[in-house]
Amino acid sequence: MPQQLLTLLRKVNHWVAIAIGVLLLTCAAVVLLDIVMRQVGHSLGGTDEISGYVMAIASSWGMGYALLELGHVRIDLLRGRVGQLGRSVFDLFAMVVLSGTITLIAIRAWPVLERSLDNSSRANTPLETPLALVQTPWFLGWVWFAIVAWLTFAAALMLVLRGEFAQSEQAIGTFGEEESTI
Amino acid sequence: MIAYVSVGLLGLLTLSIPVGIVLFLLGFGVDAFFSPFPLIKGLGNLVWSTSNNATLIAIPFFVMLGEILVRSGVATRTYAALDRWVSWLPGGLVHANIATATMFSATSGSSVATAATVATVAMPQAEKLGYDPKLFSGAIAAGGTLGIMIPPSINLIVYGFLTQTSIPRLFLAGLVPGLALAFGFMLITMLICMIRPSLGGARRVFPLREMLRALVNLVPIILLFTIIIGTIYKGWATPTEAAAVGVAGAIVIAAFFGGVSLQMFADSILGTVKITSMIMLVVIGASFLNFTLASAGLGRELQDFLGGLGLTPLNTILVVVCIYIVLGFFIETLSLMVVTIPIIVPLVVEQGYDPIWFGILMIVLIEMALITPPVGLNLYVVQGARKSGKMSEVMLGAIPYVIAMLLMVAALIAFPQIALMLPDALQ
Repeated sequence: MPQQLLTLLRKVNHWVAIAIGVLLLTCAAVVLLDIVMRQVGHSLGGTDEISGYVMAIASSWGMGYALLELGHVRIDLLRGRVGQLGRSVFDLFAMVVLSGTITLIAIRAWPVLERSLDNSSRANTPLETPLALVQTPWFLGWVWFAIVAWLTFAAALMLVLRGEFAQSEQAIGTFGEEESTI
Repeated sequence: MIAYVSVGLLGLLTLSIPVGIVLFLLGFGVDAFFSPFPLIKGLGNLVWSTSNNATLIAIPFFVMLGEILVRSGVATRTYAALDRWVSWLPGGLVHANIATATMFSATSGSSVATAATVATVAMPQAEKLGYDPKLFSGAIAAGGTLGIMIPPSINLIVYGFLTQTSIPRLFLAGLVPGLALAFGFMLITMLICMIRPSLGGARRVFPLREMLRALVNLVPIILLFTIIIGTIYKGWATPTEAAAVGVAGAIVIAAFFGGVSLQMFADSILGTVKITSMIMLVVIGASFLNFTLASAGLGRELQDFLGGLGLTPLNTILVVVCIYIVLGFFIETLSLMVVTIPIIVPLVVEQGYDPIWFGILMIVLIEMALITPPVGLNLYVVQGARKSGKMSEVMLGAIPYVIAMLLMVAALIAFPQIALMLPDALQ
């Protein structure tokens, strides 16, 4: 059951990540188009603004994928020196703290969107983008990250309780050093 | 407050809580204990305004550029081509390692990706040609660190964003020290191999015709680098626009060499999303901590702290350098940079130093962190690609290059112009 849950989360986040990548590539194409148009004297205008929104949405939705790929950097100083059970305790603790913090961020992100919805706010820019339009997916990205984090934690906890430490470590451990940072 | 943040930081990091989350937690702590008004109300807005940023989108673009080049086999061609050009030097192929790392860092902006790429391509050659494994692998680990110095550098974008300094100026400032380090690495290799020729393997001279033919594989990368950096400096494009041009350029180069496939794109996209999200969690966390520290009056406290210590500006810098060297044994690149920026940069700027210059100094120190044990990421990357031999060999082999970096640190402190010359000249 925990393994199925993890497999499902990985599969969904894989496609989320692909979608974000396509969004980023599209954004790069729009920026390029704008540079070309500018040379001809017809700037599209507002590409900066659009890039900002894409970045906000891409970074909130990509977090869950990075989590399952063990992409979020952790310092392995003490953790690397204890036994398997000890490592699992470190991992579970880190996951609880992470899930809690992300939940708090998601809760605090809501008032930002709520205000935009209540006031039907528009960006103070030439595009006058309705802010709710871009803040809704941004907010949902953080909610998704919180959900992924708690579900991953639950799955890992079940694995640890069953004594399947190696599987738990695959889900919430640290990566081989080489993959963990730039 | 300074003590609280420093102790809290080390404590929480040791518990192996993700670095980005540690930064948020410290921010919550500063808010709860040191701020007269509740700052947490601003959390949502801060997360929105940090990530809704057209400059930061340069990060995924540059990451993607590197991913595409690496995954489409361009790195292998570059290595083979550079081998033709530099293997006549004492030290032979070791120079190709450094030169490939330099060229790749010049386009991809990531140290570990650079080291991993070069290691995978180069290691089989080392065994075939009888090189000393220590020097050979140490050179790859060290060469790979140039990725965060020579523009376009993702670390410099993050530094510029968090300290509100100009990214084009930072890029310009990194160019001379980055190239100087590359030449320094090659010089040290030559010296070592002239004293102990057995370490260097066979020197090989290729016929001119073959060298010229190899150029075909180098020109696209050099062209891409020139376009990216040129358009930024000429003011034709912002770093973000130049990064978008870079992605397009990388796709064209990959297509030219026949490396484009759906699988390549999928892999590049997944790598990009993973690395970008990792960076963004840390960046958003750092900007939240920055915000709470500034609101709680860090500036005033720093002034008192420094006044109490009575250090001269030069002594302050020396203390800071020592702090980075020690922390660098345990913490890596981006994390090291982001967790220290909120405290160290105001402290240094307070003493009258140029934040652009300090950014470059910090990058050299962080490069050093990548190849100093026990935690030196590039050492592990290279060891991972070697698949044989001892870890300690890579560590030993990296020592000459650590010395080169220390010399660079001293040079930057003695002659700040090494970094500031270009940005000042082109302003």
